[in-house]
Amino acid sequence: MHEFSVTSQIVQSVLGEAEKRKAKKVTAVYLVIGKLTFLGLEQVRFAYEVLTKDTIMEGSKLFIKKQEGLVKCSHCGYEGGFKYEDDALYHVLVPTLKCPKCGNLVSITAGKECTIKSIKMMI
Amino acid sequence: MAKLKKEVVRAEEGEIFDVELSENLLKANQRLAEENKRFLHENGVRAIDVMGSIGSGKTSLIEKLVQFLKSRYRIAVFKGDLTTTIDAELIARHGVESIAINTGKECHLDANLVKKALKKLDLKSIDLLFIENVGNLICPAEFALGSDKRVVVVSVTEGPYMVVKHPFIFMETDVVAVNKVDLAKAMDVNVKQLEKDVKAINPKAIIVATNCRTGEGVGDVAKALGF
Repeated sequence: MHEFSVTSQIVQSVLGEAEKRKAKKVTAVYLVIGKLTFLGLEQVRFAYEVLTKDTIMEGSKLFIKKQEGLVKCSHCGYEGGFKYEDDALYHVLVPTLKCPKCGNLVSITAGKECTIKSIKMMI
Repeated sequence: MAKLKKEVVRAEEGEIFDVELSENLLKANQRLAEENKRFLHENGVRAIDVMGSIGSGKTSLIEKLVQFLKSRYRIAVFKGDLTTTIDAELIARHGVESIAINTGKECHLDANLVKKALKKLDLKSIDLLFIENVGNLICPAEFALGSDKRVVVVSVTEGPYMVVKHPFIFMETDVVAVNKVDLAKAMDVNVKQLEKDVKAINPKAIIVATNCRTGEGVGDVAKALGF
């Protein structure tokens, strides 16, 4: 939903880092995007291409690692993926805040991030 | 001898520099939201974020909550909309301070807009702040504002699938008001099923059936929010 503004922030951050190091060119950017964010990767890539044009990032490779949504149960200690409710009525898998092991309430520990992991640049 | 694959790693011209960053861009809003929360608490103000679809009854719920609580609390309302002050004026009729936050084209409020609006408010003169988000079940889930509790208003006129289609906003909420229950029969919507859907996704959410025209259930929403 907010790919353009978020990608614009990404590009600004990368350009800032590149400038600090007096880089001539940025060759690659590595992102981690959580599956619980509402960021469409297609749209991020499209915005990236548009926003990097005529900058030292133009033509750089964008690598995006998807981070699964993870939860933790304080009751039984479970750490891992969501419990999905298989709703036969609606034919969908609905993610829930229930522990897959014991059914108690879990908290979300990963999947909401949008992180620049690293940047490759030519100095 | 097996032929080597034609994949050669070449150094590019000049020195290649690998910069580790780990900068979480969505955290910026989270940080601001925590600042807002601290600022509100320092001034003894509790804040409630009201979310829900367009036309679900967010403003009506706030109006009824204001009527219900205004003898006990000094209340102010932030009213998020793309444009106009129509709803802000509706709320102001009840004699509480009401500030319109017009986002222009953004589909949600964010912590920065709330921070700006907080500057227009004399926090010493209130103890309770309702923040009505822009009508939307998607984006507000991702943007914390600094509220103590969040409530989602979902109405039966939106049909039977609103909850399962938007699981993430229901994960982020403390209270769910199932509104317009007087129309459930006409809409052929099973309120119990909507409640079951919410409970499956978020067992900790408190669910209240409401009719925000008559005020039915509004007292229970107030109670669920801790008032």
